[in-house]
Amino acid sequence: MYPRPIPEDARIQRALYLGGVALVVILWLLPLLAVMLTSIRSNEELMAGNYWGWPQKFSLIENYKAVFEQTAMLRFFLNSLLITIPSVIGVLILSTLTGFVLSRYPFRGSNLIFALFVGGNFLPAQIMMIPVRDLMVRLGLYDTVYALIIFHIAFQTGFATLFMRNFIAALPGELFQAARAEGASPFQTLRHVVVPLVRPALAALAILTFTFVWNDYFWAIVLTQSDAVKPVTAGLNNLRGEWTSAWNIVSAATIFVALPPVVMFFMMQKHFVAGLTMGAVKG
Amino acid sequence: MSRLWRRNRHWVTPALFLLPGLILFGTVILAASIETVWISLHDWDGIGAKTWVGLANYIELADDPQFYVSLKNNVIWLLIFMLAPPIGLALALIVNQQIRGMRILKSLFFVPLVLATVTVGVVFGWVYDPNFGLLQLLFGAFGGTAPALLSDETFVTFAVAAAGLWPQIAFCMILFLAGLNSLNDDLIAAGRVDGARGWRMLRHVVLPQLSQVGFIAIAVTVIGALRSFDMIAVMTSGGPYGSCTVLAYQMYQESIFSYRFGYGAAIATVLFVIMIVFIAWYLNGLIKAERSNA
Amino acid sequence: MSSVELRKVDKHYAGYHALKTVDLKIEKGEFVVMVGPSGCGKSTLLKTIAGLETINSGQIVINGRDVTREEPGDRGIAMVFQSYALYPHMTVAENMGFGLRMANRPKAEIDAAVKRAAQILRLEEQLGKRPKQLSGGQRQRVAIGRAITRSPEVFLFDEPLSNLDAALRTQMRVELSGLHTQLGSTMIYVTHDQVEAMTMADRIVILNKGRIEQIGSPLELYANPANIFVAGFLGAPRMNFIEAKAVSVDASGVSVAAAGLPALSLGGIDVTGLSAGDAVTIGIRPEGLRVVEAGDGVMPVFSSQVRLVEQLGRDTVLYVDASPLQTTNSDSGTGNFTLQLNKVSTVAVGATLRAGFETGDAYLFGPDGRTLTPRKPVAST
Ligand SMILES: Nc1ncnc2c1ncn2[C@@H]1O[C@H](COP(=O)(O)OP(=O)(O)O)[C@@H](O)[C@H]1O
Ligand SMILES: [Mg+2]
Repeated sequence: MYPRPIPEDARIQRALYLGGVALVVILWLLPLLAVMLTSIRSNEELMAGNYWGWPQKFSLIENYKAVFEQTAMLRFFLNSLLITIPSVIGVLILSTLTGFVLSRYPFRGSNLIFALFVGGNFLPAQIMMIPVRDLMVRLGLYDTVYALIIFHIAFQTGFATLFMRNFIAALPGELFQAARAEGASPFQTLRHVVVPLVRPALAALAILTFTFVWNDYFWAIVLTQSDAVKPVTAGLNNLRGEWTSAWNIVSAATIFVALPPVVMFFMMQKHFVAGLTMGAVKG
Repeated sequence: MSRLWRRNRHWVTPALFLLPGLILFGTVILAASIETVWISLHDWDGIGAKTWVGLANYIELADDPQFYVSLKNNVIWLLIFMLAPPIGLALALIVNQQIRGMRILKSLFFVPLVLATVTVGVVFGWVYDPNFGLLQLLFGAFGGTAPALLSDETFVTFAVAAAGLWPQIAFCMILFLAGLNSLNDDLIAAGRVDGARGWRMLRHVVLPQLSQVGFIAIAVTVIGALRSFDMIAVMTSGGPYGSCTVLAYQMYQESIFSYRFGYGAAIATVLFVIMIVFIAWYLNGLIKAERSNA
Repeated sequence: MSSVELRKVDKHYAGYHALKTVDLKIEKGEFVVMVGPSGCGKSTLLKTIAGLETINSGQIVINGRDVTREEPGDRGIAMVFQSYALYPHMTVAENMGFGLRMANRPKAEIDAAVKRAAQILRLEEQLGKRPKQLSGGQRQRVAIGRAITRSPEVFLFDEPLSNLDAALRTQMRVELSGLHTQLGSTMIYVTHDQVEAMTMADRIVILNKGRIEQIGSPLELYANPANIFVAGFLGAPRMNFIEAKAVSVDASGVSVAAAGLPALSLGGIDVTGLSAGDAVTIGIRPEGLRVVEAGDGVMPVFSSQVRLVEQLGRDTVLYVDASPLQTTNSDSGTGNFTLQLNKVSTVAVGATLRAGFETGDAYLFGPDGRTLTPRKPVAST
C-alpha cells in the first residue's frame, strides 16, 4: 500500500483524515451540489436573488412536477431508454461474438482486425459525421431512434470488442481445448462455455455502454430533429434555451437526466471501475 | 453434407460470428471515416450532387482565419487537459486509504465521469454565471466582480476546457487508483526497509510502477482533448464570435449550419490525420506493453 | 489393426519445427507413455492426435480410419488436461456429462454414463458439487470421469498428475493403472516424469526435440538404451558418463582409454563407422558401481573422495568427487559421480574410497551418441 495506511488504532488521525477527504469531496462536487440545491428552490426565491442561501421553502415536488408536466422531458427520457437499452443489448451480443473469435480463433489478419476495432474506437465522432448522417438519410432512418441505435451499436462495438477479447483471452485456454475435444461445436462452446464465464465482463460492459450511450449528445443532434425521437441530452439543451430564467426547472431537469447513469454507477460501481480500468493495469 | 459441415464448422462458424460486428463497425465507422476524405475533395450541400473540386477545400482552409482559431483552441484544450493526469494522481494518492467510509467518498469523486457532457455544461454554466455563479460568489467574497468568462474572447476557451477537465480528472483518478492498488507490495516494503519514504518513495519506487497506467492516462486524455465538442456546443456554441471553436466544432458548423459538407469534410480530414498520429502512438505503446508483459 | 497410428507426421509452429517426421503405431488396449524433457513436443504430439493442432504433413489413423482432417470430437478420443480444464460454472455431474450433452444424447443415457463413471472413480458423493468445492485429487478424478463418460476408443492424458502432491501422485498412478486394466482402452499418457513412465507404461516412447528417440518396454529401454540420450534420461539417479577415446578398433573388440581409469577392453561392439582415435563415452549406472577393496584386480577402479551420502533406508547413494575422471552430463552438473549401493553403508563424508565396475555392466556410446555395446539381458519380471 502506498501511501502508508493510517494505523487502525490512530483513531483521531483517522477521523481527521476522513473529515478532510469529505471536505475535498464537497468542494469537488460543489458545482453539482449547487445545481441540486437550485432544483429544490422555488422560483420566487430565485427572483428575489437567493441563489446560495438555504432555501426558505422546499419546492422539490413542484419543480420536478413542472419538469414532467410542462416540459417534454418525460418523452425525452422514454426516447433515451428506447435508444439506450437496445443499443446495450446489441453491443453485448456483437462484442461477445467478435471478442470470442478474436481471442480464440487465431487466423492471419486477426490482429489487424483487432487493431482496427481498437483504433476506430478512438476516432472523434465528427470525422464520420457527414457520411453517417448521409447514410441514415438514404436508409430513411434519419430522425428515428433506429439511426441512433445502429450508430451506437456500431461505434461501441469497437471498445466492447477490445474489452471482451481481452477478457476471454485471459480465461484458461485448456477450457476451450477441452470443449473442442469433447465435440462441442463453436456455437455450443459459445453457449455453454463462453457465455456463462463472461457474465461479470458483460455486467461491466453493460454499465459502461449504458453510460456512454445515455450521455451521448453529438449524435443526438446530428441524427435526430423532432421531439418525438430526441433523447434527454439533446432535450435538456433545448430546455435550457426555452426556460432561460427558470433555473430551478432547468436544474431539476439536469438532475433528472443525470440520475440514471449515476444510479447505475452506484449500483454497479465495482463493475464500472473494473471495466474502465481494464487493460490500464498490469495483471 | 453433414460431414462437410462438421469438418468445416470449426472455422465457418467463427467467421459467421465475426461478420456482423465487423461489417457494422467497418461500414458505419471505418468506411465512413475514409469516405469523409473523399467528400472533402468535393463541393457538396449535403443533398444535391457532389462536384469534384480537388484540393480547393484545403486551399481555402489554409487561408481561413477561423481554421487557425480552431487549431489554436485545440492546442489550448490539449494543454489544459494535460493537468488531468497529475491532478488525478494527486487525488488518487490522497484517497488511497482503506478506512471504513472511504469507499463511498471515493466513488463520489467519480461522479463527474458518469455525468453527460451536457450536464457538465449546464452545471458549469452555473459556475461561470457572472450574476450569481459560484465564481461570482468567490469573487464577491473578496469584494470583486467575476469576469463574464463565457463572453470573453480571451478566456472563453480556457473556461470551457476547464469545465471539460472536471470529468477527465475523475477518469485519470480512477486509472491511478487501480494502478496504486496493483503496486507490488514487496517492492514498497523493500523501499521502506531501505529507508525511502514520502517523496523519494513516490519518485523512485511508486511512479516507476505506475508508468503503464500513466501512459494510458495521458493517452486517453490527449484523445479526449482532441474529441472535445459537446461542452463547446452546450456552453457557448463556439462563441463569442467564433472565438472558442475547435476543429470538431467548426466542422459541425460548416456542415450543419452552412451546408458546406465538402468544406466540413476537409476540416474533419485534418482532424483525422492528427488523430491517427496519436492513435498510432497509443496502439504502439499498448502493443509494446503487452509484449513486455508476456 | 492398430489403435492409433502416426505416419510421417510433421508439425511446424511459425518457424519452429516441433515434430520431426514422427512414425508411431499403438496397439489396441496398450498403455503408452510418452516421456521427454520439457519442451520436446509431447503436448504437441498429443494435441495432433486429438486434433487440437493441425499437422503440416503426414497422416493420423485411429482404428483404421484416417482422421487427419477430422475434428477432435469426431475422432473417438477423450483428453485429460494438466490443469483439468473443468468448467467452473458446472457441477461435477454436468462436467462429466458435457460431451454427451453436446452430442444431444438422451438424458437417461447421459445420467447412466455419469453414474457409471462416478462409481468407477468413487465420485458418487460429489456429483452435485462445483469444481471449486473439490480437492485436487477429486478434481483430477472428475477430469478423468469426463473422459470416461464418452467411452472413447483412445484416452489421451497430458501430464495429468503434475499438479498433485507426491503422495497423491503415487496413489493416482496406481488408480490409473487399475482403470486401464478395468476399461481395457488404449491410453496415451504424456509426462516428463520418468518414474511415471517406468511404472505405468506397457511401452515407453522417448521424445527429444520433436523426434522419437526410442520405443520399447520400460525394462527394455532401461537395459538397452539406443543412445546416450535415452541412457541418461531413464534411471534415477542418472547414469554416469565418462569421456574416453577409442584406442584400437577391430572385429574382436575395442580398446578404450579414459583419463583416471585403466585401459578397458570391450567385446561384441558394433564397430561400423568407428575408428581408432574417435571420442567415445563410457556409461555406467550408479547401481553398477561398487566399493571395492584393494587388490581386486579385474575391475577398472578409481579412488575418490565422498562428498555426500544419502541414506534411502535400504539403499545408500554416494556422491563422490569425479575429478579423477573426465565426466560429462553428470547429475545436475556438479562434477559428481554417483554410486547406488543396495545396502546401508557406513561410509562417511570426506572418506576416500575405491569404486569399480564390471566391464560387462558398462555401456559404450559412439561419437554420434549411438549405443555400441551389445544387448544386455532384460531383467525378467
Ligand atoms: N502455439 C505455439 N506456437 C509456437 N510454438 C509453440 C506453440 N506450442 C508449443 N510451441 C513450442 O513447441 C515446443 C514443444 O512444445 P510442447 O509440445 O508444449 O512441449 P512439452 O513437451 O513440454 O509438452 C516448445 O518449444 C514450444 O515452445
Ligand atoms: Mg506439455
